[in-house]
Amino acid sequence: MPDAVIRLDHVTKRFSGHTAVNDFSLEVPGGGIFGLLGPNGAGKTTTIRMITSILLPDEGTISLFGQPAGRSLSNRVGFLPEERGLYPRMPVLEHLIFLGETKGLSRAAARKRATHWLGRLGLAEWGNRKVQDLSKGMQQKVQFIGTLLHDPELVILDEPFSGLDPVNSQTMKQIVIDLARDGRTVVFSTHIMEQAERMCDRVAIIARGEKVLDGALADVKRQDGKRHVALVFTHGRDHAVPVLLDRALVASLSDSGASAEVELAAGAEPDQLLRALVTAGVGLSRFEVVEPSLESIFISRVGGTATPEEPETEAAYA
Amino acid sequence: MRKVLAVIRREFVSRVRTRAFLISTIGGPLIMGFFFMLPAILAGRDTRVRHLVVLDAASGELGQRIAERLSREVRDTSAAVPQPRYRVEYVSAGGRTDQLRDSLVALTGLKNRSDALDGIVLVTDSTLESGTVEYLGTDVGSPTDMARLSRTLTPVVQVTRLTLHQVDPALAFSATRAVDLKTQRISEGKLTGQSGEASFLLAYIMGFLLYIALLLYGVQVMNSVLEEKTNRIMEVLVSSLSPFELMLGKILGVGAVGLVQLGIWAGTAMVLTTYRVQAAALLGVPAASVASLPIPAVTPAMLAVFLTFFILGFLLYSAAYAAVGSMCNSHQEVQQAQMPITLFIGLGFITMFSLLGDPNGSLAQLLSYLPPFAPFVIPVRYSMNPLALTEILLAALSVIAGIVIVTWIAARIYRVGILSYGKKPSFRELARWVRAA
Repeated sequence: MPDAVIRLDHVTKRFSGHTAVNDFSLEVPGGGIFGLLGPNGAGKTTTIRMITSILLPDEGTISLFGQPAGRSLSNRVGFLPEERGLYPRMPVLEHLIFLGETKGLSRAAARKRATHWLGRLGLAEWGNRKVQDLSKGMQQKVQFIGTLLHDPELVILDEPFSGLDPVNSQTMKQIVIDLARDGRTVVFSTHIMEQAERMCDRVAIIARGEKVLDGALADVKRQDGKRHVALVFTHGRDHAVPVLLDRALVASLSDSGASAEVELAAGAEPDQLLRALVTAGVGLSRFEVVEPSLESIFISRVGGTATPEEPETEAAYA
Repeated sequence: MRKVLAVIRREFVSRVRTRAFLISTIGGPLIMGFFFMLPAILAGRDTRVRHLVVLDAASGELGQRIAERLSREVRDTSAAVPQPRYRVEYVSAGGRTDQLRDSLVALTGLKNRSDALDGIVLVTDSTLESGTVEYLGTDVGSPTDMARLSRTLTPVVQVTRLTLHQVDPALAFSATRAVDLKTQRISEGKLTGQSGEASFLLAYIMGFLLYIALLLYGVQVMNSVLEEKTNRIMEVLVSSLSPFELMLGKILGVGAVGLVQLGIWAGTAMVLTTYRVQAAALLGVPAASVASLPIPAVTPAMLAVFLTFFILGFLLYSAAYAAVGSMCNSHQEVQQAQMPITLFIGLGFITMFSLLGDPNGSLAQLLSYLPPFAPFVIPVRYSMNPLALTEILLAALSVIAGIVIVTWIAARIYRVGILSYGKKPSFRELARWVRAA
């Protein structure tokens, strides 16, 4: 593989009491969109904070662009943290110039680019208004601009689409896709598998601080083979319960109520499942052997439920 | 370094632009000037003639003498045409003292009446012996007025007594004149022409300004850190700058604001004291009443010492304040956690009072080398009695050593604290933060 943009080598980070990230190795190649997936408290934010040099790993090494990671590389990295904030009483344009300066831009260059971006996102009129006068959606756009102002080669977004309204969410997604098309590397974390499934070229799944799997999305899906069945129920949903809990037939279940995705147990065939369901008196409007969704891969690998939420941001060191 | 400059600049600009800064910067000197001019203005403006009645219930001439003396009392002895202070009427009681007094009392305090009275001076037979003069008036609440009245009446009674015993009053007064101690300060082997009273006042003002300024700007650093934490802007900043750079930028930015503000204030004070007579003239206050005020001149050397130790004290205390801001999550928490620092500043301020009595004593010398107190002690001592340069430098070095230690600890707490949300850390956790690599 050519030079990885991000390389984590056996990285471990412990906080007093628990291990947030354990022996995590990862390579993110240049270009494309990389999804860092996992439930809340899995260690995504801690991993991202180590990549952005906010935290230092206890063990292992991290390199960016083939060099040891450090703040000296921060001018090449754009970072949008999960907890977003701006100075409420600062004028928007001034604020963006300040953020640009902290990424090594000159004031003049920062002003030029900020003006350009504000125009592109329809905020041209708001440059001289205070941040607190903007709606929440507009503030999120300003934040996004701040992340991209210095034209970073690597963009790291922690839960970028959470809390966005659908329109803004679409705008941001388009920008992320455009960035990747320009040859930049985008890494974003999410706990929503469907989002990653639609956007990412490559993914890594992390749970309880450990890597579950990683690779190109297509490879990940292929690994799990044609062993997944999508079901949509019409009636007799209750009768399906014992069948779906039968370990001889079903290895894991991604249950959405009126629909479900099932991973077949080893040795079980799709027609056995169909027969069992029909015999039990379950009405079906869909029974299809499908390529597995990330959601069901995640459940089959990590277990039925997401790990209990841990107060990841509550104690960075303590 | 350029990034630190950006932080300093942001801190400075966003503070200087606020209305609060404008108001306090302009308002400070205005209030200062107001209090400085107030006594003179009041003295100059109070031109009303007090209307007194001397009710004489005594036999002999004492009542008349008192009335005569009061009517000679003038307001400003240096004025070309002296204005009388009192309009005096003499009433002989003639055995009806109580009735007369009561009816005169009814006339006091009336407004818009030509016969309205301000007060009644009641002279009785016991006055000569006991020295008691009864004064019934609307202005008895004013210590200044009463002291003045007493000063005016005393010699009259004394002269009357002396004459009664056939002693020459002039001889008696010259024989009993008190010693007049004229003080003049010597500093660096030279006479300064400044009275002790003046240097006392200057030391007091300096200490007070330092106290206010350290509290004011230290708390600003703390609140600014807390604000960034609650805003959650911190995380994006610490990915570009190290926590130490951030803290440094913040402290220097707020410090620059403080220096500008103090500079403006100190400059105004210098101009005011140097040109106080001209300033007084602008306000229509007689020059003489201002020139006699014990206001010392602020020398450039004194200003330099003051500003140097303000900077040192600010760096010392604001680093500690930054650490406190970083480990808290709300204003309530901060109120509690800042107590130890505020206590040190308060102690520094209080030690000043003991120094004023003995600026070169052993306590003063000891405190000069203790970092938390030196920023107060040195300027106060210097303004009372210039210190040797070596002593100032040594004190500065001790504060700088303190700054290095406090900043080192604060930076370690800050580094962890700015990203910690949730419970305020215990001392044990704080110790672990400091030790963490």
